[in-house]
Amino acid sequence: MWKSVFYKEWLKIRWFIVGYTLLGVLGIGYMFLALKHSFAFTEGENMWHLALFQGHQFYSHFKFVPLAGGLTIAFTQYLPETINKRLKLTFHLPLAENKILLIMQAFGACSLLVSFLIFFGLFTGFSLIYFPVQMVSNSLITISPWMLAGFAAYFIIVLIILEPKWIFRFCYLLIGGFFMTIYFTLDGTAAYSHANSGLFILTVLLSVTFVFSAYRFRKGEA
Amino acid sequence: MWYILIFIGVLTLAIFLPKLYWIAFEKPPRKPFILYSCVNNEFMIHRIGERVWVDTKGKQYSREEYEQKLPMMFYKQLLASGSMPDSIRGTALDMHAILREKSFFRLKANEIDAPRPELYPLFESRTGRAYLELPEDFFRITWRIEFIEATTNKIQEEKSQLFSAALFHNGFSFPAKFISGLPTFRKSCDEGYLIVDSKDQLFHLKMIKGKPFVKKIDVPEGVKFKHISCVDFNNKDFYAYLFSDKNEIYILTQANYKLINWAIEGYDPANCDLKIFGDLLNYTVIIEANDHQKAIALDKQYEIVDTYTEKWLVKEDMQEDWIFASLFPAQLSMTSDNSKFIRFYFTPSKGFDWIFLNLLLVAFHFIWLLKRKTKLKSHLADLGIVGISGIYGLIAIHLFQNKFFD
Amino acid sequence: MIECNNLTHYYGEKLVFENLNFKVREGSILGLLGKNGTGKTTAFNILNGFLQPTSGKCLIFGEDTQHMSPKTKARIGFLIEGHIQYSFMNIHQIEKFYSGFYPQWKSTAYWELISKLNVSPKQKISDMSCGQRSQVALGLILAQDPDLLILDDFSMGLDPGYRRLFIDYLREYAKAENKTLFTTSHIIQDMERLIDDVLIIDYNKVLVQSSVSEFRSNFRRFDFVLENDETDLKKESFIVNIEKVKNKVELYTYSTESVVKKYLDDNHILVSNFAQVEMPLEDAFIGLTGKY
Repeated sequence: MWKSVFYKEWLKIRWFIVGYTLLGVLGIGYMFLALKHSFAFTEGENMWHLALFQGHQFYSHFKFVPLAGGLTIAFTQYLPETINKRLKLTFHLPLAENKILLIMQAFGACSLLVSFLIFFGLFTGFSLIYFPVQMVSNSLITISPWMLAGFAAYFIIVLIILEPKWIFRFCYLLIGGFFMTIYFTLDGTAAYSHANSGLFILTVLLSVTFVFSAYRFRKGEA
Repeated sequence: MWYILIFIGVLTLAIFLPKLYWIAFEKPPRKPFILYSCVNNEFMIHRIGERVWVDTKGKQYSREEYEQKLPMMFYKQLLASGSMPDSIRGTALDMHAILREKSFFRLKANEIDAPRPELYPLFESRTGRAYLELPEDFFRITWRIEFIEATTNKIQEEKSQLFSAALFHNGFSFPAKFISGLPTFRKSCDEGYLIVDSKDQLFHLKMIKGKPFVKKIDVPEGVKFKHISCVDFNNKDFYAYLFSDKNEIYILTQANYKLINWAIEGYDPANCDLKIFGDLLNYTVIIEANDHQKAIALDKQYEIVDTYTEKWLVKEDMQEDWIFASLFPAQLSMTSDNSKFIRFYFTPSKGFDWIFLNLLLVAFHFIWLLKRKTKLKSHLADLGIVGISGIYGLIAIHLFQNKFFD
Repeated sequence: MIECNNLTHYYGEKLVFENLNFKVREGSILGLLGKNGTGKTTAFNILNGFLQPTSGKCLIFGEDTQHMSPKTKARIGFLIEGHIQYSFMNIHQIEKFYSGFYPQWKSTAYWELISKLNVSPKQKISDMSCGQRSQVALGLILAQDPDLLILDDFSMGLDPGYRRLFIDYLREYAKAENKTLFTTSHIIQDMERLIDDVLIIDYNKVLVQSSVSEFRSNFRRFDFVLENDETDLKKESFIVNIEKVKNKVELYTYSTESVVKKYLDDNHILVSNFAQVEMPLEDAFIGLTGKY
């Protein structure tokens, strides 16, 4: 039965997730092309010095890419579920309600994970061409909260979309918006070294909260 | 699920409500600017906001009189007004000497608790050229020292082996714990790096004509350095200020690699900003903590000649903070003034005045529950949450309503 | 099969219904009738577990509808008002999707109905007309082969052809397989063709719960013309409803003709053209609940 749920979710998001991943890959490709160009026009040691001691991040444009992915997938997956209260169809299926929702959520989150892993892998691979492992690992530490933010955005938007009452949607948006800033507080390279694990735990906790909105829908809060 | 949402709600509110409060109400503390005067052997204090210049005894000075007490600092002004003295305490005031001895060093707490680069450029110390140039490679010290050429990102094996051997033969124990230097070409000359190895031994590393220069420095028994700041002063007296894990300040002389302990007390690098003004006759060490400033004057033999401490009203003593402490049980922040790292910094409010508001809010929520005719037993945890987290919990609970429908 | 006990629901301060009690027998086709706002959709939402009643309980197959097990849900076929479906799918995808949930899925039943549709294989449901969508929805329910069908307004938005299709298929299906149907619609002529039993609710109470035939034989309409059109007809207890236009009167009652005539005689009301009129279900419904 979960296969059918996956099938439905895939039908909804397939073009978006593929398109987003493709765009992301192209973006990363462009980023490294630009880096290559910089290396050609600037001495390598100047490039390293800029990165190590002057806070330059050649990847800073990537900051909101995971967030955009999270938002896109959340909307494409869950908006079709709430139009005309189609969530009723989902809840009527012969599976425990929370189980269905968690399967749907897992599919969306895993799709994002696959995209992000592709980005991560490409980024790491290309970076190692130009920079030593210490610099690459610091940039990965810097990128990690941005990736986590992509997931957090996905979870929060799902919570908001499933919430039946508009006033609470607005409240969740407010709190969710403030909460998201935690992932983008400081830009410094490797600044999140000590916070990434805490953020990871928070993001995982957030992943199941949408069940509350769905529960409110089921009880007829509309 | 609901409790997770409440937890996240409380967390978010605990970060942003206090932030909002302080943006609205925070007032800057009045910090004085303190310098040691070699003219009257006294500390001179400039209260910047009030445009008042006094000494430690409270005697007031005009701006010109104040500047005349500090000729090393205000020599330009005094020269322009013709009131620069010829000598002080028998020492002739030669401009060249004044400029040579003038130094300023600053170390903020957040520079210590900050991410470290892990790769550094080792300059050629004797290029024979007027200006320093960035080398083509950067080094890192892991199980050995490796030089990586920046353009190709490849390890230069020969150079790496040469320098690794030199370090090894001088007793270096890999990997390095701390590397300090001036990784910029904007300095008068290159003096390499001071490196603490895994056994807390101290080494000086330079590159001279392409060859490694390694000197193991004798460290007093039991002294471990947790932070080193290399300096580039005109007088070339010392290489660096070193800070031990017992919060002592040392200097490392250039002449004979001697580590001299400045007997400074009251400096906690994790919470204090440090400023050291050097001039022809004295060193003035300013330790600035949250609520006080301690000024210590040393002579050129690094002996303490005078100290002065001044406290000021901090956030915590002001009315705004008392109100804050009555409203919020604690504050959460992702950033700290004393660090460049993001963490979840948790600061409980001073005192327990907030308990009154919390009890009030618990009562409010209790009445709200009664009015809704809900089963109180199932909401005991909520009342507990409001009791502990106060206004954060109350807002969060009302934001995520109707956890039970049965 | 379905049992609702003391169902009470408020929307905020507004009472929808109070102490509503009804049962649906196995194998029956029950129609729920009521004016707009009497709580039909509310009752359906509670039955399907999408609304928690203020008090009272509904049971389907002995289970509380607020906590139905997956096994029970598999036995219930559900049509949402407006034939709402996952319109981003096409006819193949939606069949493939649903078949994964029901082990007894009857593909042939679905395709038999769908083959009558004039749609291209890749056409999304969102690009179909109302009627075509309803056919897809019906096909899916028939393929699921549930023991109980709950249909919230199966005729909404459909033209007469599609409505007739629905009724014919549903009735044949229900009778052949001894299925239970619980449904509602605004088009009472359609309901009459489909249902055996009727449940009529009005604001706050159940007016009728019986078989259609029984209701139609017990609930009578008497028409007459008043000699004096100023006559004020008192609302006696036996009179359920009276419609008076000038001097033409329609009187609705459960009582017999003799009771009516006695009332007229006792009150010296002179009438002409007195006759009992046979009513279709729709007229009986309006007679019972009144025109607006």
